[in-house]
Amino acid sequence: MQSLLIVLFGTTILYMFAASRIEAFIKTLALQGLLLFLLVVIDLHEINLANIAFLGLETLAVKTVAIPLFLLRVIRRNEIGREVEPNRPQFFRLLLGAAIFMFGFLSAFWAARTGSIGQPLYFGMSIAMMIASLFLIVNRKRIITHILSFMTLENGIFLLSLSVAHEMPLLINLGVLLDLFVVVYLLGIFFNTIQSLYDRGTIDVLSKLKD
Amino acid sequence: MRLLLFSVPLALGALALLARRRWASRTALLGTAALFLGTVVAWAAGADGGGAAGWLSEYFAVDPAGLTFLAILAVVLAGASVYSLFYFRERGLTPRQEAVYAAEMSVFVVSMAGVMLSRHLALLWVFVEATTLSSALLIYFERRKSSLEAAWKYIFICSVGIALAFVGIILLSIGSQGINSLFFSDLGRRAGEINPFWLKMAFSFILVGFGTKIGVAPLHAWLPDAHSEAPSPVSALLSGALLNSTFLGLLRVHDIMVQAGLQGFSRALLFVTGFLSLLVGAAFLLQTANYKRMLAYSSIENMGLLFLGTALGPAGLYAALLHSAAHSLSKASLFLTSGNILALTASKRIEDVRGLLHREPRTGWIWIASFLAVAGFPPFPTFLSKFLLIRAFFQAGLGWLAAPLLLLVVVIVFGMGGAVFRMSFGDPPEHAPDVRMDASALAPQIVLLALLLSIGVSLPAVVQALIQAAAGFTP
Repeated sequence: MQSLLIVLFGTTILYMFAASRIEAFIKTLALQGLLLFLLVVIDLHEINLANIAFLGLETLAVKTVAIPLFLLRVIRRNEIGREVEPNRPQFFRLLLGAAIFMFGFLSAFWAARTGSIGQPLYFGMSIAMMIASLFLIVNRKRIITHILSFMTLENGIFLLSLSVAHEMPLLINLGVLLDLFVVVYLLGIFFNTIQSLYDRGTIDVLSKLKD
Repeated sequence: MRLLLFSVPLALGALALLARRRWASRTALLGTAALFLGTVVAWAAGADGGGAAGWLSEYFAVDPAGLTFLAILAVVLAGASVYSLFYFRERGLTPRQEAVYAAEMSVFVVSMAGVMLSRHLALLWVFVEATTLSSALLIYFERRKSSLEAAWKYIFICSVGIALAFVGIILLSIGSQGINSLFFSDLGRRAGEINPFWLKMAFSFILVGFGTKIGVAPLHAWLPDAHSEAPSPVSALLSGALLNSTFLGLLRVHDIMVQAGLQGFSRALLFVTGFLSLLVGAAFLLQTANYKRMLAYSSIENMGLLFLGTALGPAGLYAALLHSAAHSLSKASLFLTSGNILALTASKRIEDVRGLLHREPRTGWIWIASFLAVAGFPPFPTFLSKFLLIRAFFQAGLGWLAAPLLLLVVVIVFGMGGAVFRMSFGDPPEHAPDVRMDASALAPQIVLLALLLSIGVSLPAVVQALIQAAAGFTP
């Protein structure tokens, strides 16, 4: 059951790469939040109840509902064009996503062979999610896409921290803290300010400072 | 005492924010600096931070390395705080703006102190994150479009970096399942039990994450923007204290690698990033047209030197720590003086600044002296530290690597010197804003330079003992 959920989480990479509308990307983000919530509920029955409640609340209320809703509101209010810029044909984007997904499995096998990791699939899929997110951050131009990719990066890290939840519950909570802080900062303060100071939401406008 | 170091600045900052009076903001700034200086002197004199509650002393403790960096922070902070009084006056800030500045500054300083005192890897990581968030506000303090751009790049790049460092911490805990603790003492003592594969992976991720924050190439993209757009006293703190504080975090993780017998791996990575930083610093420094950005590229270069020193073992680490102190003080002096120049000329372009020595001789001479201090001319201590660094190269049998190092350093000194002297000599332009320099605009740099001279001429025994203890090195 866990493995199925983790692999499903991994397949959202394909969707992230193929999506050509920002709304679709945001819905992927909500789906990832839901999958992480299910994983927390299924996987973490051994740690104490208060902690599970806290994590469940974070994944369900924040990751699945609050952030996607907030982002949807932002793109509607600011009339950000809906298209993720199509800088490559969809076929190649999908191919690239598939390659990264594959790499996730490979690194899971690889990690399993070191013998020191209990659940290699967690490691593999979260590495794949991180690579995919970093790739999108580097390769796309819209600030909103950068923020969305950062959120998926955080989701990947959250998945990885679940794999050490039994030994170090502290780490997951820290991951949550990172999540909340950065969300408030990136979205609440800076993104809104940038949107109001500049008309367009691409990083092209942020290119005054250079040599 | 450790608790005071955190609570008093925060309380003063909150008070400033509530009172919104000029006296409250100034009390917060100067009081925090005085507290830090006093604490460092007391600790260096041997008073331990006793009286703390049990859990507190478990998570926060002072060791020689932490104290070294805390002392640098205290000195740079004192300079920047006094200079802030000039900045307030010159910019004509309202009492409310001053209060916001003082409050943001107190959070920033407390989070840096937290990094230096943390004995727990995850806690240290939390404080590094806190420094990013609090300093981003200070970078955006002047509320210009360009400063927003700088703050956005800073916070986004560093957030990605810090997230990757967190991955490193998770990987470390995967590899150290038997230890089940993230205290540096436990990790160091039982480093041999950590699975080497995961430890190497963890170090790579933490190097990328913290390296972003330290500003070494190729992860430096945010650094010149942030340093040039922040208010000058904040730039001084960014370059003189913030980069160092994260460097200390990396040093502690590197120490685990050494204890585990994997120093070969971490040294190779440190060498590559160190030389890359020198190269990037030299290449960009030569072509930048903005003198604050020029100083920022010089910081990248110097962080590269710290990495190289760390990679060379105890003798190199001794040189690196001495260099860190010398660089921080002289770079703080340069950044503060760049605030004077900005006030005098209202331009950050090197081309627009001419004849500083005619226009404002005191600023001009301080500018030149600070350049000599950062470039490594004797009798300033950067000369000694660079000399020791090169000696460490030869002692490690890597003397041939000292040649490219020296070449790059010469290129950087040449590029920076050219700009500094072009700005200082010649005829000043006719029309320029009328700004009067007062003591708060000059005294901090003079004191910093005097301190540097006293370290450079005869290394005081207490400084030497502290750095030796921090580097685990006896010559």
